[in-house]
Formats: sequence, C-alpha cells, structure tokens
Amino acid sequence: MSTDDLIFDVRDVTLRFGGVTSLNNVSIQQSRGEILAVIGPNGAGKTSLFNCLTGVYTPQVGEIIFHPSQDQSVSIMGRLPHKVTQAGVARTFQTSRMFNALTTFENVKIGVEARHKTGPIGAMLHLPRRNREERESDQRTLELLAFVGLEHRMNTLADSLPYGDRRRLEIARALGTNPKVLLLDEPAAGTNPSEKLELTDLIRRINQEMGVSILLIEHDMRLVMSLAERLYVLNFGEVIATGPPKEIQENPAVITAYLGTTETEGVSG
Amino acid sequence: MSINERKWPLGLDKDDLRLAVTCFFGGLLLAVMTGPEGNLSSPGFAFQHSIFSSHVYGFVIFGLLLGALSVTRRKSKMGVWELPVSLRLVTVKEKIRTLTNTYPAIIFGVVAFIALIAALLVADFTGPLVPNKLSFGQLLHQFVNSRTYGYISIAEAPLVIRLVRTRLKKSTPAQGSIFSSNVATVIYGLVGGFLFALFADPWLPPRFRWSYFTFGGPSNNAFFHHWTTYLWIVMGGLLAGRYIFVKTSDIRRAKTQRFRRPRAEVSASTRFVMYAGCLFVAVEAPKYLNAFWQSTIYQQIGIFVLLAIGLNVVIGFAGLLDLGYVAFYALGAYTNAYFTGALPIHPPFILNTFFVVPIAVIVAMLAGVLLGLPTLRLRGDYLAIVTLGFGEIVYVLISNLTSVTDGAGGTGPAGGFSINLPGIHYAWSAALTGDLSYYYLLLGFMVPILFLFTSLNNSRVGRSWAAIREDEVAATSLGINPLKYKVMAFAIGASTSGVAGVLSSAKLGALFPSDFALQLSIFVVILVIFGGMGSIVGVLVGAAFLNWVTQYLIFHSFIDYQDADKFMYFGALLILAMIFRPQGLVPSKRRVREFEDEEAGLGSADALGTAVEGPLS
Repeated sequence: MSTDDLIFDVRDVTLRFGGVTSLNNVSIQQSRGEILAVIGPNGAGKTSLFNCLTGVYTPQVGEIIFHPSQDQSVSIMGRLPHKVTQAGVARTFQTSRMFNALTTFENVKIGVEARHKTGPIGAMLHLPRRNREERESDQRTLELLAFVGLEHRMNTLADSLPYGDRRRLEIARALGTNPKVLLLDEPAAGTNPSEKLELTDLIRRINQEMGVSILLIEHDMRLVMSLAERLYVLNFGEVIATGPPKEIQENPAVITAYLGTTETEGVSG
Repeated sequence: MSINERKWPLGLDKDDLRLAVTCFFGGLLLAVMTGPEGNLSSPGFAFQHSIFSSHVYGFVIFGLLLGALSVTRRKSKMGVWELPVSLRLVTVKEKIRTLTNTYPAIIFGVVAFIALIAALLVADFTGPLVPNKLSFGQLLHQFVNSRTYGYISIAEAPLVIRLVRTRLKKSTPAQGSIFSSNVATVIYGLVGGFLFALFADPWLPPRFRWSYFTFGGPSNNAFFHHWTTYLWIVMGGLLAGRYIFVKTSDIRRAKTQRFRRPRAEVSASTRFVMYAGCLFVAVEAPKYLNAFWQSTIYQQIGIFVLLAIGLNVVIGFAGLLDLGYVAFYALGAYTNAYFTGALPIHPPFILNTFFVVPIAVIVAMLAGVLLGLPTLRLRGDYLAIVTLGFGEIVYVLISNLTSVTDGAGGTGPAGGFSINLPGIHYAWSAALTGDLSYYYLLLGFMVPILFLFTSLNNSRVGRSWAAIREDEVAATSLGINPLKYKVMAFAIGASTSGVAGVLSSAKLGALFPSDFALQLSIFVVILVIFGGMGSIVGVLVGAAFLNWVTQYLIFHSFIDYQDADKFMYFGALLILAMIFRPQGLVPSKRRVREFEDEEAGLGSADALGTAVEGPLS
C-alpha cells in the first residue's frame, strides 16, 4: 500500500452520542482504486463510520480527509452531506432507500443530474443548457442502467423491482453522481446466492472499469474475502485488526470478536 | 340480553350501529351549528327558526348517508357482503344481473330512504317549536322540490358505481369482461357526459321533474334543447376515446418495450393540438356563455386558479404545507397599491400596473426567501404553524399600520391595468359582469405560467423536488441540497401569489385587510388538495370546480345561503373527496403511486407530514 496516494484518510476519529462512544479513535486509510472492506459484529460502529464519512455525523475528535485526486484534499468534517457527495463520495444504504414512486430510469437520472447546473429559470424557459443537460443525463442514465444490467427495467417503478435489482439500482443511482469513491453499506444483504455472484462481479467491474474506489461494509464473508484487498475489523467502535483477508481470517482477536469466546472483554467507552 | 350478544340482521354488529349513530349525530350537530342564521355563538338558533329549511335536514341526511356509507364500506371490506361464489357468474346476462343486484347498493338505497323519512319525521315532530310549522306533506313536497334531492343523487351515483366496480373487480377475471371493453368505455363516457350535462348549471333543472326532459317542450331551456347537453355528451365520448387510445398505446408500448422518455405519454404533436384546442376553447367559449358563467369565470376562477397553481408548486411539487400563502398575495396587492399611489405613503414615482408586476414578483419572492430560509429547516406541522403565523403577522400589520395601509377600513383605488402608448390607449375595465377584458388579461398571465410550471415539474428541478418529497435522506446522499430546493419552491409559489395579488387589486381597486385573512389561505389549500396535489391539470380542475360551487351557491341563493357558509359545503365535499379520492380529482401520476405505496405500507404519501426518518442504516 502506498501511503502517498490515499483517497480516504481517517485519523483518530471519535464519535459520541451522549455517553455512548460509537467510534473510538478509529483510523482508516484507503488507497486510490482499492476495494476496502469494513467488517465487524452488529453494533460495532460500521454504519456510524459511513455516516461520518458522508457528513451525516460530525465526529467530536479526529480528522477525515478525502482526496478527490492526488493533489486535492477536502475535509469531510462539518461538511453537509450533499456537499460531501458533490466532492465525490457516493453511498448506498443498508435498507433500500429508493424513490419508490418513480421509475428506475427517473431514479438514476436524479442521481446523474444532481451535479448539473440547470436552475428553475433555465428549466422553465427550456434554455439551451437545460436541453443539453437533459440529453446528457438521459444518455448517461441509459449507460449506467446498461452497466448494472437494468436497461430492460427502465420504465418499471422502483418498488416493483425484485430485491436484487433494487440493490443494483441503488448502486447505479449512486454511480450517477460520478463518485471517486463508492461506499456500499451491506449491498448483499437479503440477496440470494446467484444475485450475490452477480453483485460481486458488478462491484469488481465498477472498481476496474470505472476506476472507482470501493469501501464496503458486508456481513457475507465469502463476498468480502473474494472482493476486498484489505479489511478493517471494527468491534465496539475500535479497530481491532487490519490487513489482507488471509491474515484477518486467522487473527485471534477477530475470531474472539465474532465468536465471543471470552466474557472479560468489557464494553469500551 | 346485552347489546354485544344480540344477533343483528345482515351481518351488522354494534360497531356498525355506533358508526351510523355517530354520523347521524354529526350531521345533526352540523345542521344545528351551521344553519343559515346560526353560528357557534348561538347554537340551536338555526334549528329553532328554520327546522323546515331543507338546509337542516339536508345535513342530517348527509350525516346519515355518511354513516350508512361507512357501514357499507366496512362490511364490504370485511367480506360480510361479498357475493357467494355461485353468484359470480360468467355470462354477460348474469353479469348485468350482478350489476343491478349488487347487495350493498340496495341496502344503501334502503338506508338512504329510511334516513330521508326519519329526517322528515324529525322535522315534522319538532315542528311545534316553530311558529309557522309545515305539515309532513308540505315538508315532503318541499324536500322533493329542493336541490337536496339532486345532491343526494349526485352523491349516490358515484357510491353505487364504486361499489359495483369493486365487486366486478373481485368477481370477474381481468380479461374478456364486457365492462372493460372499449365499447363499454365509450358508453361510460357518453353516460358520464350526459350525467354531467344533467348536473351542470345553469341548465340544471330547478327540479328533477320528468317533464323537464321532454323533447320539444315549450321552453328553450329544456334539457335536450340546449346545445351544451350535446356538448357534454360528445365531450364524454371524446374523453373515453382518448382514454382508450392512451390505454391501447400503453399496451402496445409494453409489448414492444421500446425506449421512451418517462412521462411522455402522448406524442408531441398530439399534445400541441390538445393544448391549442384548450387555448381556443378558453379564448372563445366565454363569449358565448351566459351571465352566470361569465361572472363565475370572471369573479372567481381566474385569480384562484393562479393562486392554486402557485401553491401547487409549494404543496404539490415540494411537499411543504404553507398556511401563510395569502401573505404573499397581500404583499402583491399592496405593492400595486403603493406604486399606483393609493396608499397614504407615496412612492417616488407612479407606475403603470404592468410595471408593478415584476416588482411584485421580486417583493413576494424576497419575502418567500426570507421566510423560507429560517423556517424550511422545520418539517411538517412545524412549518405549517410558522407559515400560519407569518400570514397572521402580515394580516395584523396591514390591518393596523394605519399610516401606511389605511388600516382595517381599507384603501384604494389601486390602479388598474392600462396601456398608454402614443396612439394606443386602453384601460381594462373593472365592470363586474359582461366585460371579459380582465378575463383575457388573466388568461394572458395564466397560460405562460402554466407552461412554465409544467416544464419546471418535468425538469431536473421537479425531479429533485420529487426526490426530496419521497426520501430526503436519499436525495441528500445524491448531492441535492434540500434547503435550496425548498426555498426555491417557496419563492416560486410566493411570486405567483404576488402576481395574483397585483391582478386582484387592479381588478377590484379597493383593498381591505379582511380580504387577506387566514380563510383565504385555507381555501387555496383546499383547492390544491381537492384538485390533486402536484397535478397542474388537477389543480386547475379543482379550483374551477370549487369556485363554481361557490358561485353557484351565491347565484341561486337557495336555502338562505350566505357567503360564510361556503366552508361548510367545502367541508362536506372534502370529506367525500377524502373518502373516495384522497389523491384528488385529477391526481398526478407520481402522487398516485405514492398513495399506492402508502397503502402497501411503504413510506409516506403524506408529503405534508414528516419525511421518512430514522437511522441511516
């Protein structure tokens, strides 16, 4: 891992809710183009970490730096979620959050055109930029739908899609924002084995063909082990292990955290 | 034997009784409290003085009908009144029999009849309380001759149709039913047009006498002699035809699966022809209307349509409940008064009203942004309360700032629209009837606004509003700034309201603070909700329909109608609308889906409530 080309640099982040410490002194480095996974038992703070990285929560202590490109850096701390997205961080949610009453096409298109510039005046008067952006976003939306394999479902309402398709739609919508890094929160939850295989393939293609770095939370170990280049293991808000999948599988602290062989490990914070 | 254990006929139970009784007393209460002369400060007054007025038992019957209706719906839902399987027949003849024999419809009719007799008896027995009591026969006569009967028929028709339709849906397979055939659709359309012609005023027969329907009768007003009757029938047929066309092309599209831009159902040329046709009718038709319709369009519909399409941006598109909407209307009106020199404070220069319009747009928009920036972080009820407060502040200010606005006594005359160019001099007349010049002026403002808002809704901005309405968290995660779009909706709505204010003040001349009270805000909200939130056509239809109701009540001045009574009628209409068509008369497609989602337990269609909250898991 080269330390000079990081995309995410999370340093000593501590997040508290009242008396509960959700993240304690967490440091995570992700290199550009890497598929990184964060695993851990339920309540370990994985989703809290995602929410910190996307600006939903602001940690009390620490620093989160996002590098859209090698010579740019953006501090996520205190930045509003939509600004974080505009900087190049996209995410999906653990439970599906589609715009259910809109079609698949419209869902993705909203993601694509969120970074466009047309304002109300342009939209009302059909100014040239509006027409150009509509064309662009239509085309980009079709490309993305084809990329995730949903082009035949274009006019289907989001809530009538099967579960696996909804996951892919959510990914397509997030990709529409043209991210540098994609945060996937349990993308395989609730999908069947064949959908999982497709999803693994899709995530790899996003990483390789689009050059998007991936940060992944997942419970499905087979998927994590086959995809991730490196893992962070969180337990009770702390990083207990980091390294390539092979090492992590044999790490005694991780096995303890997952299987819970001792009772003496207290709740941190 | 207690009431719980008693066996009731027809599968009724004590809950049904409770429902019916509640509704009956509701109707009674409504009648007592809202009589022609009565108000909350003198309960019982109306009842004592006008027990023989159709007004009172009209509402009693309304309550009873509502009770019967709730019971019927409940029973149908519970499956108590489902037809036995053996009766779900396949042949056409028997299908027609199912149509006519629909059990709930009969029960409903019987209940309604009993309710009617009961109401008349109540009126008869309490008669001695009033000086000039009518006999039962007279009451019956008066009732049959009153419009109440007509309204009951109107109310009953959709009920029965709906009941029958739900039955058909369950009992017959989807394909091959004659009721879903194209021929049947056209027939429905024609019958619908006929019914509409029947109820469309001012040719509504004053009494539903059969003699009225005779061909070749003595009066020119006879139903079948009036051209509008045929117009409506043809209109119904055309609508049905269009429905079939759209449906067929939908099916074809689904078969071929070819790409289409979302929401583009009809080809651009067809749409252009449709728009041009609408515009042509809007320009030409008013000239041939009689005084009633002219004054309806002129007095009521125009300004309110403008207000409603503006509020539709706020409520329908962005999903924000704004109860202080009238404040911007007042701002527009007083801006006009200021710049045309009608206020005690004098402007630096007197402007023609045409030039006041852009100023009013800017003023109202700024007010919208100023109100919106701090308050739009609030949600649902809180936002409603804050905007309500804002509306009241503006109202109190214009009532009490005597040195600026002339206070509660009103001010005026604000300047009207006029053209003063070398060689061209024209002033829009503010005559109350018979002059359509302001109507055309209004049309000139309305048509462009309609087009602008339609394309706004189909643009990136409109889709962002839809996204925020559906799931604010997800919208934010895509880089949409919710506050920006909410303020934008607020400002656009406010500026429309400002334009409406200028137009209204220019037309009326005199300005009274009481014209800008809270009721007006609520009325516009009703227009939007009744017509269909988020649907521009729906809002147009809703505003036109409800204003027609108002005008109808004034024009015919039956049962001692007073203007303040209109909210009572709107209340009744809104209850019916919420039962049968919560999505509004002509809902937007997106909204219909949201309502369906809500019924299926997915998210909230109530854009006025809080958005989907909870942890970002």
